[in-house]
Amino acid sequence: MTVCPDCGHENIEGEEFCAVCEQPLVEVAGPQCSTEVERRLLLHPIRRLNPREPVLVAPNTPVGEVLRKLVDQHIGCAVVVSDHKVVGIFTERDVLLKLNVRAAELRDHPVSEFMTAKVETLELDDRIAFALHKMDVGGYRHIPILRDGRVIGIISVRRILNYIAGALGRETPAGQGNDAGNKAP
Amino acid sequence: MNLGSDLHTETVLQASPLQPVCVQIDTPVRSALERLQEIGRSAVLVCEGDRLVGIFTERDALRLLASDGDLNAPIREFMASNPVTVRQTDSVETAISKMSSNGYRRLPIVDDRGRPTGLLDASGLIHWLVDHFPSAVYNLPPVAKPAMHQREGP
Repeated sequence: MTVCPDCGHENIEGEEFCAVCEQPLVEVAGPQCSTEVERRLLLHPIRRLNPREPVLVAPNTPVGEVLRKLVDQHIGCAVVVSDHKVVGIFTERDVLLKLNVRAAELRDHPVSEFMTAKVETLELDDRIAFALHKMDVGGYRHIPILRDGRVIGIISVRRILNYIAGALGRETPAGQGNDAGNKAP
Repeated sequence: MNLGSDLHTETVLQASPLQPVCVQIDTPVRSALERLQEIGRSAVLVCEGDRLVGIFTERDALRLLASDGDLNAPIREFMASNPVTVRQTDSVETAISKMSSNGYRRLPIVDDRGRPTGLLDASGLIHWLVDHFPSAVYNLPPVAKPAMHQREGP
């Protein structure tokens, strides 16, 4: 059996292309995922991270109100939606870099003035590796998760590190001849 | 490359730590905020003399700004005291565990006299992980979606 790195479909051993998404499988055939950390990152879908419920706000919400929501709900970002579509994201970083000491005087301005309009999103069945890659390349710390075009969750860099940390106890240092990390979950 | 053993053997210095940005404990929080904006960073280390005593992050800034706190008050009133730290010799695995179990996104790196020498953040660890899967993560197709959901044909 060869697991497709892209969609996770379990293909018949020896197939060159994934039967579902047609990604080439040749490079992934052979020994893979020698550790539990690798397995979690490469094979597990984002739904395993249990994305938390997002804080959704409309573009015209006063930014002061969004700040209070972020504090009250212990979350680092709000997703700005209009007509169920994601139009932006507003994070703690925006608070620091765009509002900063002027937060009080700007509090009645709409959040759309300060949000980041370009938002990277993923879906529940995408691999965790995709999220890792997007976070590394784009420097993002939060990625909204969509289903049928609507935001249903949010994952953070912290949530991914927690998931990886959950595998650390099960790692075996190299050279001890134990293949515990290879077992399927 | 073996991720499992590298996690144990590589140290936090391999996970792109940032240069520490420090302020003194009686600095007005306003000037720390302005400094962060100016240099585009999200946390300052708070020191008493040359010893690390606290950390002030964007989360602390959010709480302060959302509640219209007094920006002229010293940073000691808003910082998190005695932050969890790592040493230069600690492994990447130790850093991931410490970050995860305490829910922090940053770990100051200190020497044996408690002086800050760096700041490790979650992005550095993510980059380390990606770097250790060059074939797997860098070769991901540009779009996460599969080309088609169903097999063609009847």
